[in-house]
Amino acid sequence: MVKFKNVVKAYENHVAVKNLNLEIPEGELVVLIGPSGCGKTTTLKMVNRLIEPTSGSIFIRDRNVKDLNPVALRREIGYVIQQIGLFPNMTIEQNIDVVPRLLGWPAEKRKRRVYELLEMVGMDPEIYAHRYPNELSGGQQQRIGVLRALAAEPPLILMDEPFGALDPIARESLQDELKNLHSRLNITTIFVTHDMDEALKLADRVVVMNQGEVVQVATPETLLRNPANDFVASFIGKNRLNGDSLQSVVEIMLPDPVTVHPQMGLAEGLALMKRKKVDTVLVVDEQRRLLGSVAVETLDREHKRARTIGEIMNQDPPLTTIRSQASAKEAFDLIIGEKLKYLPVLDENDVLVGLVTRNSMVSALASAVWGDVGE
Amino acid sequence: MGDILALTVEHLMLSAAGVGLALVVGIPLAILITRYRTLAGFTMAVTDVLQTIPSMALLAALMIYLGLGNQTLVVTLMIYSLLPIVRNTYTGITGIDKGLIEAGKGMGMTRWQLLRMVQIPVALPVIMAGIRVAMVTAIGIATLGVLIGGGGLGAPIWRGMQIVDSSMILSGAIPAALIAILCEFGLAKLEKAVTPRGMKASSPAKS
Repeated sequence: MVKFKNVVKAYENHVAVKNLNLEIPEGELVVLIGPSGCGKTTTLKMVNRLIEPTSGSIFIRDRNVKDLNPVALRREIGYVIQQIGLFPNMTIEQNIDVVPRLLGWPAEKRKRRVYELLEMVGMDPEIYAHRYPNELSGGQQQRIGVLRALAAEPPLILMDEPFGALDPIARESLQDELKNLHSRLNITTIFVTHDMDEALKLADRVVVMNQGEVVQVATPETLLRNPANDFVASFIGKNRLNGDSLQSVVEIMLPDPVTVHPQMGLAEGLALMKRKKVDTVLVVDEQRRLLGSVAVETLDREHKRARTIGEIMNQDPPLTTIRSQASAKEAFDLIIGEKLKYLPVLDENDVLVGLVTRNSMVSALASAVWGDVGE
Repeated sequence: MGDILALTVEHLMLSAAGVGLALVVGIPLAILITRYRTLAGFTMAVTDVLQTIPSMALLAALMIYLGLGNQTLVVTLMIYSLLPIVRNTYTGITGIDKGLIEAGKGMGMTRWQLLRMVQIPVALPVIMAGIRVAMVTAIGIATLGVLIGGGGLGAPIWRGMQIVDSSMILSGAIPAALIAILCEFGLAKLEKAVTPRGMKASSPAKS
């Protein structure tokens, strides 16, 4: 549907977009995300030629946008902006049917379309069609902003941080509505945001950008599980931690689990476990990379044959582990779903950073519900 | 009395002609300088300077080139009307929320459509306020038209001054003041009427 080929946008003293290559299939909702100044909005605006690329080409359904009349092109593309931009001199009806009017649709068809759209989002046309934008709340106004973009049934919609200026409740409900509309109408959508929660909620695919470059293109699931690098991980992490509590697995783990080295003698290990009152220890090397685990029963059973922990570790089924970038929910799902007693948390270099146990999970939950309740 | 009525009508027509000409020249000029912002400073400075020239001096100077008669008066009135009209049109259009322009452009309006459907309607109340100021100023300055052979209510005022006839002076001054007040009132009404309902101050539900 939309294809960026070696697209560059350079300004006098900085490069906003560096050699962008991206393909967006028909019907997909793609979210461009990144910190401010990463080039996401520039990328969006090059599609409808509000900004012209310095070099490279953009194709919509295999037509190079450079060869199209910009005015005609824009009428084929829905456009929603953060400032909403409803025309205050026009009624809701007139606002919604701007593009159909520009395209010269007959009056009756336009009216039918407006009513149909208003009904689609549960706004009674009899009540709202003849109101003016300043008679609506911010959330309602942007709902009209979205309908306005849909009015002429465009095959493609561009949304530039459309819900960024709304209050959280309105934002949430508009996100739900957009998701709904998208799954119903299947219009290819390019959506720009800096809000990771929004991206993860809405996107079929997320395009993470930084300093004019695409850092990762992935489904929300993959993005969470396998962030391409530290930037993506911190961008996910930072934003996920901003929201509700218990976003990250790091928040529900014990940061300092009991560990042993493989050279440790069995008796020593047993004493350690008794002292720490644990039934399992994790075995790590000098760099604290996870090697395996030993349960107290194994230790007990083998203490006649073996001398060091290293000889008897990993007799139990292989350990399930989780990455530190994962969400708390994933850890919950794993522990509950796979009936695990514990779940070691590893960073990207397999270094052990913590351990989620049923106990740590419950106390994290408890402190989320009742505030801090001690250990 | 019939004379006075005729003079009043003439006075109003001359003032309106001056303002009308200023509209014809000023509004396109203002729109032009919203597109070529580099010209804006220069244009505003020129209209500003024109405004500061004493009206008597401007009348006299123009008379040298345009001769005696109403044409000189109308051109003078146009020049004085230019500043409020150009300035208000310019600030009205440039003051519009950038989001509206971006939305209009992004939806595929041509520049002309953007102007006609968005910029002018939204700026109209401000433009109208400029016209109102111009009209009232013009009615006042038009009383000097008699000095360069123009018509209007300046004639009875001037003649009355020369023969020290206060009733003659007032027979010109009172109608001039009245039409100024009426124009102010009428144009204020019109300004309100052209303000779209959606742009009026009261808004029951705004978040």
